[in-house]
Amino acid sequence: MPTIKFIEPDGTETTTEAAIGETVMQAAINGGIAGIIAECGGACACGTCHCYVDGAWGESLGPVSDNEVGMLEFVIDPMTESRLSCQLMVNEKMDGMVVRVPKSQT
Amino acid sequence: MLDKTSGSVDFRPLSEDFARDPYPTYAAMRKLDQPYFYEDEQTWMLTRFADVQAVALDKTMLRVVEDNLTDAEILSRKTMMNMHDMPNHERFVQESLLESEGETHARLRKVVFREFTPALIERQRAAIQDIVDTLLKNLADKPQIDFIADFAAHVPGYIIGRVLGVPAEDSARLRKWSEDIVSFWNIGRTQAGKDLAENATREFYEYLTVQLEKRKNVPQDDLLTKMFEAKMAGYLNEDELVSLSMQILRAGHGSTIDVLGSGMHALLQYPDQMARLKAQPELMKTAVQEMFRFNSPLPYFHRFATQDVTVGGHDYPEGTRFGLLYGAANRDPAQFENPETFDVGRSPNRHISFGGGTHFCLGNHLARLDMEVIFSTLLERFSSIDLMDEVPEYKAGLSVRGPKSLMIRLKEA
Repeated sequence: MPTIKFIEPDGTETTTEAAIGETVMQAAINGGIAGIIAECGGACACGTCHCYVDGAWGESLGPVSDNEVGMLEFVIDPMTESRLSCQLMVNEKMDGMVVRVPKSQT
Repeated sequence: MLDKTSGSVDFRPLSEDFARDPYPTYAAMRKLDQPYFYEDEQTWMLTRFADVQAVALDKTMLRVVEDNLTDAEILSRKTMMNMHDMPNHERFVQESLLESEGETHARLRKVVFREFTPALIERQRAAIQDIVDTLLKNLADKPQIDFIADFAAHVPGYIIGRVLGVPAEDSARLRKWSEDIVSFWNIGRTQAGKDLAENATREFYEYLTVQLEKRKNVPQDDLLTKMFEAKMAGYLNEDELVSLSMQILRAGHGSTIDVLGSGMHALLQYPDQMARLKAQPELMKTAVQEMFRFNSPLPYFHRFATQDVTVGGHDYPEGTRFGLLYGAANRDPAQFENPETFDVGRSPNRHISFGGGTHFCLGNHLARLDMEVIFSTLLERFSSIDLMDEVPEYKAGLSVRGPKSLMIRLKEA
């Protein structure tokens, strides 16, 4: 199982196992990362599963859909590394991936 | 195949007892071996968080399944639910963003969703503060006020009207139309309720037509203009434009007023939590989330199964109607520790008051911003807030939850 490291705004690091085929959002929830709220349950409808995927890891992720682009423009504190974690499907290449949690989702 | 006997739960959702406190009934329903079958609506009532969430997120479960039905079947279904013979209501309310699915739904939502994203909604903060300050100025010296009628009722409509671009002086009329249309969705439909909703829809339509016409000649910097331009560009037709405008004006109106009321009531019922929030204003965002969880303002939605399905370990055939009881799910001990406790610091707080899936509440960020500004201002500005009503009366039924009035006394700091 690939492991993903979540870094919260206060510096707390949590490394959690992620199941292939689930979303990074789901891995965050399972790993107890309170800063990934994911209100709509993963339907790309709320923007509160927003995360930053560090540098090179970001480049190996799948392409961003139209819907995700739309939501990402207007999340709190958007950056070039911004992604919606509910749109990221866990795969083996994500082993060791670092994901930063934004200061706020709302 | 499940047995439709109702088990030993006394479920009377239109009763005074239920309005006062539905949660013991919800707890009893949650403990049953199978969901409660509500005869009046031929619906399986889901009360466990896991089941409610699973169905809300299931893409094969739809609010509306009319695409494959003949006109006769549609009429028969509408007649059963007593929503027939209402031409304006059928045209602009029964068909809408909320009542559409698939590509139609995605297309309509795309026209407006940007205005409701967190960053853009934040731009309303100053306007919310402004109207709150104005309202409080007029209430300062009163021995007691009705938190609902004198204060809360005036805020959400004014703000959503501002987002859309309708004049402030029309707020009261918009609120009345919204209430009359939304109350129709409650259980126990009467002809009087139908007439009220139909008339409200017709008047609302005539009003919007005037507003939209103005923008044809003089475009403004508001959502109505953007929607009008989207129509000119072919993204939606005239009926959809009217329906979407109504939906936006209506959706966050009563529900926000209701949760402002029940949120204020919760703080008053649990003064230790009010004190805690006063002492730690940084808890405001979690407090607002807890208010939504503790009393979901819209506790009853539904879905139809478009194929045979298994929910919570039970099998149901295609066509089954499920009731999603968000108010019950939000008190499920399997999801929340000490669910009956109102805790302004509760975190994480993954409640389901805004629903789930593609219909997830578009206005969620705005609703929360309204709540945040209002409660922050009240707690900062008043040294004490006292409840003057022994037992505030809550609205009856399943589809809305909020106090009808809430008499309080505000003492300036």
